[in-house]
Amino acid sequence: MMRYSSRREFLRDLGVGAAAAPFLTQLPSLGFARDTGPAKQRLIIMFSPNGVIPQNFWPDTEGEDFTLKESLTPLEPFKKQMLTLHGVCDKVRGDGDSHMRGIGCLLTGVELFPGNIQGGSHTPAGWAKGLSIDQEIKNYLQANPATKTRFGSLEFGVMVPERADTWTRMVYTGANKPIAPINDPYQMLNKLYGRAKDQEALKSVLDEVREDLDAVKGKLGAEDRRLLEEHAAFVREMEQQLQAAKAEKNVVPAPELPPGVKGDSAENMPRLSQLQIDLLVNAFQNDFSRIATLQYTNSVGGAKMKWLGITEGHHELSHKEDKDTAAVEQLTKINKWFCEQLAALAKKLSETPEPGGEGSMLDHTTIVWTNELGKGNSHTLDDIPFVLVGGGLGFRMGRSIKYRKIPHNRLLLALAHGFGHRLERFGNPDLSADGFLNLA
Amino acid sequence: MKILVFFIGFLGASSAWADDQSGEQIYAKKCLSCHGKNGEGSKDHPELLIGDRSLEKLTAYVARSMPEDKPGTCIGDEAKKVSAYIYDAFYSRAAQARNKPPHIELARLTVGQFRNAIADLVASFKETPKPDERRGLHAEYFNAKRPKDDKRVVDRVDPVLDAVFPADGPTPEVKGEEFSGRWTGTLLAPETGVYEFNLESVNGARLFINAPDQPLVDAWVRSGDEKAHRETLYLLAGRLYPVKVEFFKEKKEKAASVALKWKLADRVEEVVPQDYLSPGRASDLLLIRTAFPPDDKSMGYERGNLVSKAWDEATTEAALEVAGYVTSHLRALSGVALDAADAKTKLPSFCRKFTERAFRRPLTPEQVSFFIDRPFAQAKDLEAAVKKCVLLALKSPRFLYREVGGAEPDQFDTAARIAFGAWDSLPDTELFEAARAGKLGTREEILKQIERLLGTPRAHAKVRQFYQQWLQMDRLHELSKNAKRFPEFNEQIASDLRRSLDLFLDDVTWSEASDFRQFVLADYVFLNGRLAKFYKADLAEDAPFQKALGGLGQHAGLLTHPLLMAGFAYDSTTSPIHRGLFVARSLLGRRFRPPPEAVTPLSPELLPDMTTRERVSLQTKPQACQSCHATINPLGFAFENFDAVGRYRNTEQGKPIDASGFYWTRGGDTVKFNGARQLGESLAAAEETQAAFIEHLFHFMIKQPVLAHGLDRPETLRQSFIQSGYSIRKLLAEIIASSATVGARNQGKNP
Repeated sequence: MMRYSSRREFLRDLGVGAAAAPFLTQLPSLGFARDTGPAKQRLIIMFSPNGVIPQNFWPDTEGEDFTLKESLTPLEPFKKQMLTLHGVCDKVRGDGDSHMRGIGCLLTGVELFPGNIQGGSHTPAGWAKGLSIDQEIKNYLQANPATKTRFGSLEFGVMVPERADTWTRMVYTGANKPIAPINDPYQMLNKLYGRAKDQEALKSVLDEVREDLDAVKGKLGAEDRRLLEEHAAFVREMEQQLQAAKAEKNVVPAPELPPGVKGDSAENMPRLSQLQIDLLVNAFQNDFSRIATLQYTNSVGGAKMKWLGITEGHHELSHKEDKDTAAVEQLTKINKWFCEQLAALAKKLSETPEPGGEGSMLDHTTIVWTNELGKGNSHTLDDIPFVLVGGGLGFRMGRSIKYRKIPHNRLLLALAHGFGHRLERFGNPDLSADGFLNLA
Repeated sequence: MKILVFFIGFLGASSAWADDQSGEQIYAKKCLSCHGKNGEGSKDHPELLIGDRSLEKLTAYVARSMPEDKPGTCIGDEAKKVSAYIYDAFYSRAAQARNKPPHIELARLTVGQFRNAIADLVASFKETPKPDERRGLHAEYFNAKRPKDDKRVVDRVDPVLDAVFPADGPTPEVKGEEFSGRWTGTLLAPETGVYEFNLESVNGARLFINAPDQPLVDAWVRSGDEKAHRETLYLLAGRLYPVKVEFFKEKKEKAASVALKWKLADRVEEVVPQDYLSPGRASDLLLIRTAFPPDDKSMGYERGNLVSKAWDEATTEAALEVAGYVTSHLRALSGVALDAADAKTKLPSFCRKFTERAFRRPLTPEQVSFFIDRPFAQAKDLEAAVKKCVLLALKSPRFLYREVGGAEPDQFDTAARIAFGAWDSLPDTELFEAARAGKLGTREEILKQIERLLGTPRAHAKVRQFYQQWLQMDRLHELSKNAKRFPEFNEQIASDLRRSLDLFLDDVTWSEASDFRQFVLADYVFLNGRLAKFYKADLAEDAPFQKALGGLGQHAGLLTHPLLMAGFAYDSTTSPIHRGLFVARSLLGRRFRPPPEAVTPLSPELLPDMTTRERVSLQTKPQACQSCHATINPLGFAFENFDAVGRYRNTEQGKPIDASGFYWTRGGDTVKFNGARQLGESLAAAEETQAAFIEHLFHFMIKQPVLAHGLDRPETLRQSFIQSGYSIRKLLAEIIASSATVGARNQGKNP
């Protein structure tokens, strides 16, 4: 659907009174061309809902010597490249219940508007009042030709419900401007490579188009023939340009997706997760983007993870009491599964050499795994889970850090600073007052 | 002494010389150096020597002002002879046609035709529900936060969507503080272009137009206090689009309201009027998003006579868009899914139908092999095959150009000409099948189909587009007036005036009589309460649009319509030049070159004692200006009784208005009049007016020069126009019918 902020923009793009945007300049950007220049930096923010079981999640000790608890054991191979940040709190208040503010203020650091979405408690709310940090950094990167990419950012989803409301959106391009993640790997594939497929389809017909033009031309008088000859010349030119473009390849080709993986059944969640991770790494390899978000379900997500032997919905489980040991065990398992997804993503990045650079892709990427709540049954917004993996932002990794209840805006600022974007405030200005977290 | 003799001798020799020189020889000596051997002009003087003056007026002009550097040296007999030569060799209309015989050019689809054709091609594979004659939207209210069948309590037709509900429910049947509503139906787009829709609500609401699964406005989550939610959408004119609004009020909210508003180009935002809504159903249309370079409009109508790289890329982009759409909606369009057992046999058949409809004719066996069989044989799978067929069809000159067969036109060509003439798009199924059955041969059969098409909203929309162009509405965008002099003339008045003009044009054109002369004779104007107040007519303040007389002075149809009077004026003063130019071009069919120098109008403040008429006359007094302004000004002065906002006045600067004027017919007669009504009466009876209207209309509807369809075509059309009582509807039908059976690209010969 076309959305334009003004009639004039629309008219300009529709070519009314202005030249049309040439089709061929929309060729995919060329990964290999960026061999020279400063090393790339990338950020992935991964989301899972309903909080964690703190004693099975957070390391006990601080510093470089720490033991991974049950939920985080999948990250053992990456211990030297990870950070756990305990004591970082979502201190944004205002309209909306904890779940809504948990996801809506998580990447934005700013209050929600009053609105008509009523949560389990508190006042009804609408969307967040500002943009999210991934979009802030994306804008910064896109403004610089050295770091500009074809898409700027990519939003991946796994089993995110189709509805658009304060519980299903965490990425905002501005106040009241949420972006929906793409749930369907085929849709994502089309977004990344549809253009190239179009060009393949086009190449396969241009010969016949010229044959057709010749046949028609032959039946016309001299003056009419001139018009078709001009036309034929353009077709030939397009064919040549497509041939030339063929010579400049992406670093890796489009991945082949197995057919028929439907995005709406919980049983498919592991497969969907794997496909989205593959697409994400592929997109990064071809430098289609350097910012990505990966959202698993939504705030209050109710996934039933049958492959883990769990039959109850995630959110329901998260509300069981602390003394319900069965529930605690299952919740620990659920977060361990999410952690396995993170580990799979990190593994793939670590096993892929950095295109046109040194080391592995993981050395140039920072993954941030986070959650809407500190703990599910209390709905606390304190001690929001933040686990970082990778080397993209120049942080000193391989540590467990404990803070004393600092606002998470400061961590969002740290992410921006990691890219060289020296923001002083982000989201609610009071919560940014103490500046960015120094993680170097 | 010697010198004097020589001088006298020279004079004597000169007149004696002229006596036995032919017009051509005089031309060669006195005119050729500036005007060129064939009137084609020269480096310093590039304009063509063509025009609309009668022979008599041309002679007078030559005697008075030529040669340019020595006016007065070509007079009397000499002037007569050379003018006669110039008139017959290249100046007159007949000479122009003879020198450059107009012919039917090979034309590609214009951008508008392309967009229409794509929309209709895809739509032909979907259901076309019968239009619902009722007006308004189907409204349902529910006793729950979400529209649920078992909670429905009201089911009716609401005339418009502009509702403010009491906080406890829209109707007594709705109980409680939580409720929802759904409005469904169709929306008729009156014009092609960008619409700004505003779904205004203090609660949560969504608007779907055309695309059934993707809301145009998604304000389901109310966030903050903003109640206006605007999005733009490009729509093609004359078509019905499915529309749906869903709305809900949350318990804690203190108020409830929802309205569906739109803003058309150059109008103010308003609630979508009942006239454009129906509670029926419509299939969604494929409106391609590709941007196109604009068509050539140098001849006054959009032509597909040029190709360019940008155009080639745009049509390619569009073809890819359609290919993607067809494959992702394959089941709905073809009745066959890609993985169905019989897909392999049914899909080629679907592609063949698609290509036939795109080409406007059945495929020959060779073409079936080329366009269908080969792609299916070569492609790696069925989806790729379908895509390839769509691309081949839409990138083929058989789709992109009109009539490339090269053979003698057949009934399929007739069908295509009827369709493109009436609605700038492909033949519909009924028309196509009539051609296939050989039922488009006789004049009766052809007229029957034409009349059927002319009765549709799409055809009405095309005629409306013609009027836009004929009345130069694209010059009437900015209607801002001096706020001190005309404080009440605001955007709302301007918007109402546009509607008033629309109503008048529709009323005349589609009435039974369809009498063209009403365009220059009608003594009424469509006014609503707001306009009546401004133009001092006697109507209630909230009166709907209706024909109104009185308080408006001496009206003459379009000529004095307040929109045109205000449009052809400056912010405080009138512009007789613009008004005169309008009459001369659109009603008398005259052609004018741009002014020789750019001239700023003399400021009224510098000449405060002069009337507009006096000031304009002063400004255009120089000889160089008079060649055109001698014609333009006296036409424009007839409107001086109508001020810069179209109100009637009897005086200006304290002096009585002088609205006398005249024009010269092509035959050389002078027609005099005083005021717009008399001008209207003269125009109504004038051959030139009929001829000009017919020529403009023909060019717009057929997009070919009228003379290319036969040198006598304009006169034949004019005679039947007169005989039909000047019926515009019958003229439209006659224009399309006569062009539908013309031979293949003749050279201006009679068919």
